[in-house]
Amino acid sequence: MLNIALPKGRLGVKVYKLFADAGYEFPGMLDSNRRLVFVNEELNMRCFWVKPFDVPVYVERGTADIGAAGKDILLERNPDVYELSDLKAGYCRMAVAAREDFTDDSRRTLRVATEFPNIAQNYYAGLGRDIDIITLRGSLELAPVLGLSDVIVDIVETGTTLRENNLHVLNYIADLSARLIANKSSYKFKNVIINEIMRRLEKNS
Amino acid sequence: MLRPEEKAALSLRELYESHGYSFYKMSRFEEYDFYADKKDFLASKAILTFTDINGKLMALRPDVTLSIIKHAKDSGEIQKFYYDEKVYRVPKNANSFHEISQAGIECIGELNNESVRDVIELAVMSLRLIAGTRKCILDIADAGVITDLLKGNQKRDEILKCIAEKNIHGLKNLNAPEKLIMLAEIQDSPDKALHVIDEITDSNCLKVLDGMNEYYDEIRIDFSAVNNLNYYNGIVFRGFIEGIPESILSGGEYDNLIHMIGRDKDSRALGFAVYLDLVERGYDSHD
Repeated sequence: MLNIALPKGRLGVKVYKLFADAGYEFPGMLDSNRRLVFVNEELNMRCFWVKPFDVPVYVERGTADIGAAGKDILLERNPDVYELSDLKAGYCRMAVAAREDFTDDSRRTLRVATEFPNIAQNYYAGLGRDIDIITLRGSLELAPVLGLSDVIVDIVETGTTLRENNLHVLNYIADLSARLIANKSSYKFKNVIINEIMRRLEKNS
Repeated sequence: MLRPEEKAALSLRELYESHGYSFYKMSRFEEYDFYADKKDFLASKAILTFTDINGKLMALRPDVTLSIIKHAKDSGEIQKFYYDEKVYRVPKNANSFHEISQAGIECIGELNNESVRDVIELAVMSLRLIAGTRKCILDIADAGVITDLLKGNQKRDEILKCIAEKNIHGLKNLNAPEKLIMLAEIQDSPDKALHVIDEITDSNCLKVLDGMNEYYDEIRIDFSAVNNLNYYNGIVFRGFIEGIPESILSGGEYDNLIHMIGRDKDSRALGFAVYLDLVERGYDSHD
């Protein structure tokens, strides 16, 4: 049995549709109920919805053999897994943004609000900049508006939310999209089927 | 009653003994200074320390290899040791020190192809022994060729991460050297992979596998095994067992370390460790 972890939410639905188009269907996956685990006996596969942030954990520990995770989450958690392909779904970017009137004073410690403390830390460590990380769980745009932070490190899709809050992008840190990941051990021993899934998904994406 | 982990340790000891390796019993503590300047060579930077009654700062062993090579004789003579010990480390993503059981071997001196093959053979046999009826795989790569291809490359660390993740699209985005991408794509047994490598590089490090047909079912040339280039300079490998979610064996050639502690230039060192804590993980697999 091959176990597949998909991220609950919008990105997960996009990725599931890629799987379904590639011939890996799990009846009921998209119905609105509380079921989380779906089995396709014919394919000998089991698919389950987990919190997007947890996909790498399920895969790294082998509970899921493969999974789909946003690159943002992979960069943040840095799991010991294989990143087999770019599914090219849910394209967006990780960016630094600030208020329109923000000017960087390099003599001061920069206050950075983010949901991704590791990504922010690594980015500023690369620049040799001393920062104060403020980890938040959403509504990042509020932080610079209310003066909680100088900048935010956040996912930017179209930039509309930023503009509506008078924020603008200072720098782009990374390109993000859904990636197919695999447990390192599973990939060795379920190589044929995982490569087949990878091949079919790449053909369609 | 022996637990699976203890049974595995005993049969590994028997295996190593039968191949001419001698048991190495070491003290649980070393002076902290011994590790302090060799942190690049340690798997985790954190070291558990305490002050001995004479006021000396001591460390609970974070690593076995360092102690063994320190105590090995400084002569060209080939010395073979095996161990079965506890080490104290902070594993990745953990918030505290853990006691980790390791068994393994170290082969030190003026090694030849014969001694390298012997270590690889023992690595495969260790995996077979623990795997029982399950399948096992030993991924093998050449760390030296990767080091050479990345000399002076600004994106070295990012590229190395992509190699470990088999992230080919990432390597292409980083404009990694073409040869390196070709190496990263290899995942085959030596009979198929060795010709391919021959066309990419002059390095003959992996040629030592030629003729080890008895082990070709388990051996895969796979450059995702490359890790910690400060430590490994030649052949490097990682072993996996079906049903155990992470690699249970890891090792390779680490000449830099023995040269750093002042050993003769012609001396080489090769070894591997088996992570015995993982043995039991295979038993509660979900299917």
